[in-house]
Amino acid sequence: MPLESNARIVGELASRGYNAEREAVTLLAGADDAAAALEAAVEAAPDDALRITTDHVRAALDDHGPVSNDDSDGVPSGQPPATPANDDGSPVETKGSGVADETEPTAGVGADERPGVREDRDGHRDANHDGHRDANHDGHRDADHDRDPSRRELAVGNDMTGHSTGTGEYADFVRTFRDRYERLSGLLRGRVNHRPAEAIADMPGGSDAAMIGLVNDVRSTKSGHWLIELEDTTGTFPALVMKDKGLADVVDEILMDECLAVEGTLADDSGILFADSLHFPDVPRTRVTGGADRHVQAALISDIHVGSEEFVADAWSRFTDWLHTPEAAPVEYLLIAGDMVEGVGVYPDQDEELDVVDIYEQYELFAEYLKEVPADTEIVMIPGNHDAVRLAEPQPGFNDEIREIMDVHDARIVSNPATVSVEGVEVLMYHGVSLDEVIAELPEEKASYDEPHKAMYQLLKKRHVAPQFGGHTRVAPEERDYLVIEDVPDVFHTGHVHKLGWGKYHDVLAVNSGCWQSQTDFQKSVNIDPDAGYAPILDLDTLEMTVRKFT
Amino acid sequence: MRPDDERYFARLEERLDEAFEVAETAKAQGKDPEPEIEIPVARDMADRVENILGIDGVAERVRELEGEMSREEAALELVTDFVEGTVGDYDSRAGKIEGAVRTAVALLTEGVVAAPIEGIDRVELLQNDDGTEFINVYYAGPIRSAGGTAQALSVLVADYARALLGIDEYHARTEEVERYAEEIALYDRETGLQYTPKDKESKFIAENLPIMLDGEATGDEEVSGFRDLERVDTNSPRGGMCLVAAEGIALKAPKIQRYTRDLDEVDWPWLQDLIDGTIGKDGADGEEGGSNDGDDGDGETDDANGEDEQAGDANGDEGDDDSAPAGPLRPKPSQKFLRDLIAGRPVFTHPSEDGGFRLRYGRARNHGFATAGVHPATMHLVDDFLATGTQIKTERPGKAAGVVPVDSIEGPTVKLANGEVRRIDDPEEALAVRNGVEEILDLGEYLVNYGEFVENNHPLAPASYVYEWWVQEFEAAGADVQALDDDPNVDLEHPDPAEALEWAESYDCPLHPEYTYLWHDVSVDAFETLAAAVADGEVVEGVLAIEHTDEVARALETLLVEHAATPDALRVPTWRPLARSLGVDDGLRREWEGADLPREAREWDGGDNAVKAVDAVAPFEVRERAPVRIGNRMGRPEKSESRDLSPAVHTLFPINEAGGPQRDVAKAASTMDDRGRRGHHELEVADRACPDCGTHTYRSACPDCGTHTEPHYECGDCGTVCEPDEAGRVECPRCEWEVTAATYQEVDLNDAYRSAMEVVGERESAFEILKGVQGLTSTNKTPEAIEKGILRAKNGVTSFKDGTVRYDMTDLPVTSVRPEELDVTADHFRELGYETDIDGDPLRHDDQLVELKVQDVVLSDGAAEHMLKTADFVDDLLAQFYDLPRFYEVNERDDLVGELVFGMAPHTSAATVGRVIGFTSAAVGYAHPYFHAAKRRNCDGDEDCVMLLMDGLLNFSKTFLPNQRGGKMDAPLVMSSRIDPSEIDDEAHNMDVVRRYPLEFYEATREMADPEAVEDRIRLGEDTLGTDDEYRGFDHTHDTTDIAMGPDLSAYKTLGDMMEKMDAQLELARKVRAVDETDVAERVIEYHFLPDIIGNLRAFSRQETRCLDCGEKYRRMPLSGDCRECGGRVNLTVHEGSVSKYVDTAIEVAERFGCRPYTKQRLKVLDDSLESIFEDDTNKQSGIADFM
Repeated sequence: MPLESNARIVGELASRGYNAEREAVTLLAGADDAAAALEAAVEAAPDDALRITTDHVRAALDDHGPVSNDDSDGVPSGQPPATPANDDGSPVETKGSGVADETEPTAGVGADERPGVREDRDGHRDANHDGHRDANHDGHRDADHDRDPSRRELAVGNDMTGHSTGTGEYADFVRTFRDRYERLSGLLRGRVNHRPAEAIADMPGGSDAAMIGLVNDVRSTKSGHWLIELEDTTGTFPALVMKDKGLADVVDEILMDECLAVEGTLADDSGILFADSLHFPDVPRTRVTGGADRHVQAALISDIHVGSEEFVADAWSRFTDWLHTPEAAPVEYLLIAGDMVEGVGVYPDQDEELDVVDIYEQYELFAEYLKEVPADTEIVMIPGNHDAVRLAEPQPGFNDEIREIMDVHDARIVSNPATVSVEGVEVLMYHGVSLDEVIAELPEEKASYDEPHKAMYQLLKKRHVAPQFGGHTRVAPEERDYLVIEDVPDVFHTGHVHKLGWGKYHDVLAVNSGCWQSQTDFQKSVNIDPDAGYAPILDLDTLEMTVRKFT
Repeated sequence: MRPDDERYFARLEERLDEAFEVAETAKAQGKDPEPEIEIPVARDMADRVENILGIDGVAERVRELEGEMSREEAALELVTDFVEGTVGDYDSRAGKIEGAVRTAVALLTEGVVAAPIEGIDRVELLQNDDGTEFINVYYAGPIRSAGGTAQALSVLVADYARALLGIDEYHARTEEVERYAEEIALYDRETGLQYTPKDKESKFIAENLPIMLDGEATGDEEVSGFRDLERVDTNSPRGGMCLVAAEGIALKAPKIQRYTRDLDEVDWPWLQDLIDGTIGKDGADGEEGGSNDGDDGDGETDDANGEDEQAGDANGDEGDDDSAPAGPLRPKPSQKFLRDLIAGRPVFTHPSEDGGFRLRYGRARNHGFATAGVHPATMHLVDDFLATGTQIKTERPGKAAGVVPVDSIEGPTVKLANGEVRRIDDPEEALAVRNGVEEILDLGEYLVNYGEFVENNHPLAPASYVYEWWVQEFEAAGADVQALDDDPNVDLEHPDPAEALEWAESYDCPLHPEYTYLWHDVSVDAFETLAAAVADGEVVEGVLAIEHTDEVARALETLLVEHAATPDALRVPTWRPLARSLGVDDGLRREWEGADLPREAREWDGGDNAVKAVDAVAPFEVRERAPVRIGNRMGRPEKSESRDLSPAVHTLFPINEAGGPQRDVAKAASTMDDRGRRGHHELEVADRACPDCGTHTYRSACPDCGTHTEPHYECGDCGTVCEPDEAGRVECPRCEWEVTAATYQEVDLNDAYRSAMEVVGERESAFEILKGVQGLTSTNKTPEAIEKGILRAKNGVTSFKDGTVRYDMTDLPVTSVRPEELDVTADHFRELGYETDIDGDPLRHDDQLVELKVQDVVLSDGAAEHMLKTADFVDDLLAQFYDLPRFYEVNERDDLVGELVFGMAPHTSAATVGRVIGFTSAAVGYAHPYFHAAKRRNCDGDEDCVMLLMDGLLNFSKTFLPNQRGGKMDAPLVMSSRIDPSEIDDEAHNMDVVRRYPLEFYEATREMADPEAVEDRIRLGEDTLGTDDEYRGFDHTHDTTDIAMGPDLSAYKTLGDMMEKMDAQLELARKVRAVDETDVAERVIEYHFLPDIIGNLRAFSRQETRCLDCGEKYRRMPLSGDCRECGGRVNLTVHEGSVSKYVDTAIEVAERFGCRPYTKQRLKVLDDSLESIFEDDTNKQSGIADFM
């Protein structure tokens, strides 16, 4: 039986035309059979009452035997008497780089100036969710904020769900990597005068040359220099980065199979290119960022892991309770970057550590938890590595069976990765499996579990969410490389590493959104202390972000 | 040593000398890399140890200590010598410890493996956080070859030295402790461990070890947490350290404990927790089916606290000394052996499950030393999955055992399709009824010798009630057993029911086991029901007929009472002992009422065990017939096949790529190069120079004058010609690096090939194909003479990497044989020096039982055939290549009898000489347990090889050995000509060598005493060491008709593909009462199919690609699509087929056997993943797109 949250009770009461005292709601939520208790409380309330009070509830609970076993059950322990949102919900300054300080005002940029696909969703939602929404409006109407669905704009790009055309042939792989090369090299063409590998080999020794290619190999030589082998569609060519060129820092960041441009001078025998400079596709420093033309917010979360023994149900309910408060009224969007559930068979003997062993029940339970979110919230979800989809990336959105289970709120379920355009703000959502690899490969100061956003900067720099092939990340070949970051997003949202971190890289806000699962035995064994129960809240008009804590 | 033994060894050495003489003459011709035989004969172990370590004085001290104590004790004793400086010349404390540790490992490995030098890098002193010093032992990968015991003891030795030197203990930091756990788990994933400690166990060890274990990085993967630790200089797993911690300390805790007890300076009380297995138990697999009572936990803690008394309670369960136990004493079921169950290898008995193998104590003549005696009828009834030599993983006392056929124990009991329940003691009968078997109610007895429990330091498990126990009780009760034995009308072992009842009642002696049923397996309720049914039955023509109800039928089946069945009645022919046990008299009058059963009988073992009830109502005492069942499953199949490199090699001559994938020398010799020359290749081979005429050549004999050539070392950089130093190392004095004689030379292979054929006088038609190697891996890349390859190819044998011809066989022990069963005659035996049989009677007949001499070996049929071919090859080689007389001149396999072979085990570097005395149809190598132990093998499924003596002498050369680490393993660097029983793996000393176990032994098993408690009463091999009897008197308690009974090959080898094997495995699981087929299906999916699918799926999505035309590999698909080297077609290395091959089967099996939803869902998710990757969404009938 899922925990009956305050929010659901408020909604239910509202649908019957009642307002309620906070304490009364808490009492009801703590009852064994909240639904029955609620019935009884409504029954107990005088006909003319508009507001359910604690007295009504107490009276009802006393009459209603099985509802409460003893006194202590009346107020659930662990939950402070007052609503947590008021006490604990203040923004925390944890890690990250202090977004609020850095963010420049973006007021000047109006939503109208950018093309945004407007979705016609009239009627549809109202028909289904009238009761709920009205209830919320009655109960928690925010005088300053009108949750008007008609003003919402939500569009999804780069979604490959239902378009997985690859059949696992060699040619599919080649097509994927060629597409990567073509699109990423396009970003570099303007910066260097690319010559194909074949052509460079024929150039006279000593001449200047530049090449754009996927990194085929990087290794250090005996004498402490680095040899980078680049590949384009005509072949490979080696470039030597001398240790005294001051490029050590850059070489450190190179991952296999990312796209890179090298400029330099050919050796006398034309066998190798002495590199003078290296270029990543990167994100331009000056760029017009997007923004909503009204005050509206999105909550960016991930890694909920319902079904795990470590799922922090209390924190989740505090979060959803808060979403029902006036303060949260502008939060009209909820973006979930994967790992809705703990999954099955993710690691050996996982069943011993599962709270819910059945994968379908996990999703059903997740759906129950999702119902706690205000009904008129726009939800976008992508799968993660714990979800019941293929592990190889890109991961298509869930199959029909699981979609039907999660058929609440009409959530948008799209592929990992996908680009979501929210009232003019482009959000790149990616679960983040490659972060592990980036963190493992790069020096600590460039990427670490404590500062996951720095690893994300690297991906932005490479304009690819999972460049390295053959290692940690699994690749499913498709007709194009869906993992390329072709358009620069305004926000880059990932999860997976269960650490909270955010910061700006060339005006792109990178957010790794923590998790809703407390430390697992595995995490303990590898020394990871997760950030559980945080919800980063993004102002879509200013691109400022605050993080709320619900633990 | 007795004169008889002297003569035996003299005889062996005589033949050895003959062979040496011939081989020396041949080698002296200089046609080989070295002009002399390269396998020296070692005097004794002390010699070997000193030589391998290079520490003066060790050999002398070892010889001194050897007479006085065991090798482990000697190793510990030597610590004192090293610490005091009387042995070894070390100044530093670290050096002293290092010397002691290396010596310990060398001693424990009899100086035959490289572990002491290659496996231990160094010992150093480091600082604890409180400023005190501690010891760090730095291990390397080759420590593996030392084995768990030596690994573990090396730590103990270091700790002992530490204590003597007054150095502090190591205090692991928290992150170091966590690191150990993560690292060991990672190493296990990457490389695999024999035993994987749970994280908690690893941490527990790390926290408690007084010595820091460290080591070289051996893998590419890195740990993800606990990186960059100050005192750990790598982020990769340290293989040596992982091995020592997991396979050493964790696995061999009981063994180390034996030695810590004797040392005052060393105290490792925490070992007890490891042995009890209480570490890491809570939480994970808390539920263990059928553990008997709740007192266990308390008992264990008691043990841990008050252990010092060492009264004999080492392991878990016996702690409950309540005055009125609620149930019988039983060892705790253990699931461990079921781990990693794979498809096609069936489970025979779930942990301690009723109906499974019944533990019987004894040693058959082909038994002991990590083997398990199984009735040949059982082997057939388990659908031939068990054959002689098949390895099984077992619940206790050890981990694994080799199966041997023993027909003097009880066979299986089956229920036939017509309802009849019958015990089957005849393999022929088993084959006859096999198709009609509906259920295998009981797998029969499972013979384990006492020594096995000593070796594993496992508490004795309650014994089955068997003839050899009963007869001693009978005698003790006052019966004149001798007289009865001599009476031709009495069969003591199989008396008729009347006699048995007579004896039980007139003597105060339990009922004869023949008529003792498995009362402990039926409940008191079932007992009462059965008693009532029997009382209501009637006797028709001497057969008891009782009403056929499911409950009664099940009770009789569980009790293993033979009977026939009709739809209405169950007919029990032998019913009187049954009735009497049920308290029903011969007139079928029940002599008791339900109320007569005392409370204790009713509540005994929760009412699930009717033993006390029988005691209460029967007029005689009834012992527990088969209290302990031993769980087991199939491990590896037995092996008997020639050792071939892949691809097979006839000659160690390099031919580059030119020979194609077959490495065909003829093809390479005829390949045309750019300039139109046939067979010219740039080969990397040794540069050798003729000392007489100065000619340079790769050949070992000068092509111009025939003189033996020497390697020519020329520095590749400066051209200085260098000479090897005393140790054989060659260093350029100017460039200060190692110089080898290997150079690239243009070789006219065509000429070399043709002239080699000419030398030996053979034509190409003499052989089908001559295979060479692509390149040489030895330091100087000295090629072998092609002539040898030609003769190998002609005789159908191939070469191993060191130039020898080898044949692999699973090892099994045998201590007495009949000439007949070895397909030889008593005449043969007499010629070999056997004079009397085991009773001292002159050897006249082929079927007399003869005690085997220690170095005599029995070849499998396959091995004999291979050795015949090898003998022909050697003879051809002598005649056609060395121009010497033929040595063997064999025509049929009888001619091999008396010939010498080498036995040689992997990971060792010393060969042991053996003598062929006969042949067996079983696919194994039977030999004296001491012979196997001399090679450092036991018989739990290990395999090793034999080589023909002359082949080894003529063709082995160290110059062929690969130059990587470990290259010297598995090569006969030295040979032991005679076995000294004191210098072999001491595991063999724990084998018991008696004709019967005393009554006290059986009594001790009922208390689950420590095996040590009865050590004085049962003679072990150990007790004869150093005496005149050390080579003889290996008695056995059980005979067997033939050492090769049962199927010749396991069904695992005769069945076709994996699916067929798995179907047979599941079919068997369905049939055997002691096996839960759902659990088998679940485990096969969990441990075999799922990892396979998941692994291949992972491999698919990050795979390498390969050029189909030139074989070039690419880490990632080339952007050009085609091969960058040759323009050829590139393709995947992991295809859809290999990823999805098991999916459908796994789903089907999960469905059919009712696996858990969790398992089914995992399969479903994977199936969906495969579809998502390998199918085009847009080609589907309906897609998600419709939904959007």
